[in-house]
Amino acid sequence: MLFSCSPVERGPSYRAAGNATPRDGGTLRFATYGQIVTLDPAREYDEISAYVVHAVHDTLLGYEPNGTRLVPHLAASWQVSPDGLVYTLALRDGIAYSDGAPIAAADFAYAIDRVRRIPDSQLQPFVANIASVAATGRELAFTLREPDASFPYVLAMTFTAPQRANSDASSGPFAVERWDSGVRVVLRKNQHYWDAPHVHLDAIEMRENVPRDVQFLMFERGELDVAERLALPDYLWVTAQPAWQPFVHARATMNAYGSRMNVRHKPFDDRRVRQALNYALDKQHTLKLLGGAAVAAHGILPPGMAGRDDELAPYPHDVARARQLLAAAGYADGFDVEYMIPSDEEAERLAGSLQRDLADVGVRVRITELAFASYAAALASANGPAFAKAGWIADFPDAASFLDPSFGSRAISDDGSTNYAFYANPELDALLDHARREQDEAKRAALYRRAEHILYDDAPWLWDYHQEMVEITQPYVRDYEPHPVWLRDYTYTWLDLDANGERVAP
Amino acid sequence: MIALVVRRLGWAILVAWFAATATFAAIAAIPSDPVRAIAPHATPEVAERMRAYYCLDRGFAGQYGCFLAHLARGELGESVRAGRPVTHVIAERAWPSLQLALAAIVLQLAVGVPLGVVAAARRRRWPDRATAAVTVLGQSAPPFLIGTLFLYVLAYRFGWFPLGGYGSGFFDRLWHLVLPAATCAAPGVAYSARTLRSDLIDALHADYVRTARAKGLSERRIVIGHALRNALGPLASITGLSFGLLVGGEVIAEYIFAWPGLGRELLLAVLDQDGPVIVGIVLVSALAIALANLAVDLVQLRLDPRLRE
Repeated sequence: MLFSCSPVERGPSYRAAGNATPRDGGTLRFATYGQIVTLDPAREYDEISAYVVHAVHDTLLGYEPNGTRLVPHLAASWQVSPDGLVYTLALRDGIAYSDGAPIAAADFAYAIDRVRRIPDSQLQPFVANIASVAATGRELAFTLREPDASFPYVLAMTFTAPQRANSDASSGPFAVERWDSGVRVVLRKNQHYWDAPHVHLDAIEMRENVPRDVQFLMFERGELDVAERLALPDYLWVTAQPAWQPFVHARATMNAYGSRMNVRHKPFDDRRVRQALNYALDKQHTLKLLGGAAVAAHGILPPGMAGRDDELAPYPHDVARARQLLAAAGYADGFDVEYMIPSDEEAERLAGSLQRDLADVGVRVRITELAFASYAAALASANGPAFAKAGWIADFPDAASFLDPSFGSRAISDDGSTNYAFYANPELDALLDHARREQDEAKRAALYRRAEHILYDDAPWLWDYHQEMVEITQPYVRDYEPHPVWLRDYTYTWLDLDANGERVAP
Repeated sequence: MIALVVRRLGWAILVAWFAATATFAAIAAIPSDPVRAIAPHATPEVAERMRAYYCLDRGFAGQYGCFLAHLARGELGESVRAGRPVTHVIAERAWPSLQLALAAIVLQLAVGVPLGVVAAARRRRWPDRATAAVTVLGQSAPPFLIGTLFLYVLAYRFGWFPLGGYGSGFFDRLWHLVLPAATCAAPGVAYSARTLRSDLIDALHADYVRTARAKGLSERRIVIGHALRNALGPLASITGLSFGLLVGGEVIAEYIFAWPGLGRELLLAVLDQDGPVIVGIVLVSALAIALANLAVDLVQLRLDPRLRE
């Protein structure tokens, strides 16, 4: 109240200096709301640690900048045997760690072996299918137990990055210069990186544990170069400002959100009920509640994923059709149901909207809010509430990383199911198994499109939305977009500063 | 004297053990699964292996047995989330929290004592009323509100302080310390000012003060030299009690100001249901509060000879 009468200038405080070619130098500063859990690639499995671990450890294969296509990184080339069991990779010439030591083929075998030896590493499932790793000279051969066309993506996961015993030298574009746990980490450019000439930043500074609203204040004051996933009021404000709009970057990443309907429980054992709920939910309203930083879903595969059938449209908001289907299933008067969500402001907002939409078709929803750890346990349990908010973030940009864990019958387990709907369909299982073995990309995509149709019709989830990653950058941050897999990848980013390395005022 | 210290130390350990056990039981009673929360993609086999590793596959007695076995070896188990010893986590986070606690106590005394003295000396006049307003605010406004206000007004609008962070180097650290310490100290300032005011007012009515007045001592010497000295005992016990308040304030202040201490670590651990970390921090905090109170008691023994009997 005291300050509302003194309006302040809230557009960008700096502008791009206007260099025509990328300028070397400078420190890019950003902050995260959480903290680094570990810098050990054999353990790292959370978003925030990944920002650093990915920047510090490079892998045999990587993603093209801003895309999901695999390209050779530490490998120069790769090929797969006709039976799909042996992947052979030749190492790139002259690759070295940040301390100058050469990267050897055996270092990759060592990294895989480390994951196997850590009893509580979550990365175990990814190495389970690797029968052996043979390192000979500059060549590596991975032999699988059974064919898996998505295996190359595993070779782009950071735990496969080369490592040596008792060394934390970096194989990636940056190396850790200093980490004050819980406070900040400073990364310095790795001069020995194979693509170092294209890396322009001198350093990256990431501050930990800065609440989102404070991040935005810091960003506005010019203390941060990038701010991400803003609190909704800040997001709505900034996207409404013409001066900021060119610097708002939104990108679909590898996630899907909706509600699981446990098909083993009444009334969700009836497909018509599940379809009815899909018709009853107004997805456009969901998108509004998310500030527009999302796209409506027709299934679990997000836009851009090979195998996604872009011709399928999300279930339309059709109250009459929903009522008709409910009546046909014997629920003309609707039913009462508990809906479980994690304790979270956004989940609350969306659940309220779902509750109103379903009330329109006679389904009376009672919302139960649980702390995340309790929610996660109940979601994975066959005895948890049959109707619950569900989401999935894939490990790599391949349909197999979405469909197999979420809808394959082998992912069902009574108290640890990643198949949250407990959906078992032999036809879908056969399709997924076939697709996993299929080496031909086009044929594989066609198989997944058929799987998409089955899931669309069977509707084990109430399909809702794919959330976008939204970042705003200062005007002088160039060649940067959020990455669909890594979310934040500043490898080729540069700062458009003046000749003295200073930021330029508008 | 030594017997007293030993006895009180024994009590401190007992209190800490009780707090840790109660927390342990509360966590075990909640139907939640840290493995699922931390590893939502884990296959059943991996989840089972993780649970076995963290003793989570056993009943309450089994889990508590694991905890005691760790404790006997001087360990507190491993963080489920980070996969590293809880003792390391605590060692890393304890110093920032201690700095914050000490700064808050210093601030609490540096602001609370003068406020209390002024209010008592100028009773029912404007300094007293102004102090009452400040203390009511400090006591009734929750720390998250005070912290957010400090951050927004003093750091963001006026730019006098940084928008959170830990700082590096002595002066930079101090500068970063002011707002979180003020947030933690706010309830304590109010508490000590009000208590000191009423104790001082009582003292100012005592016979020895009348004698001092009769001798013709100045009001300043009466208040500071005679009455204040007698009101210090209760102030010391208030300060001891406020260590308990501080722990709660630190959780909030550390979160708002990105201060890398135990409080924020505790908050993160609660969100993840990371049991070993929660129990470890509760144990250490309880021990710290008990020891701080012991220290306060020793100070009181010094201040008031009557207690020594």
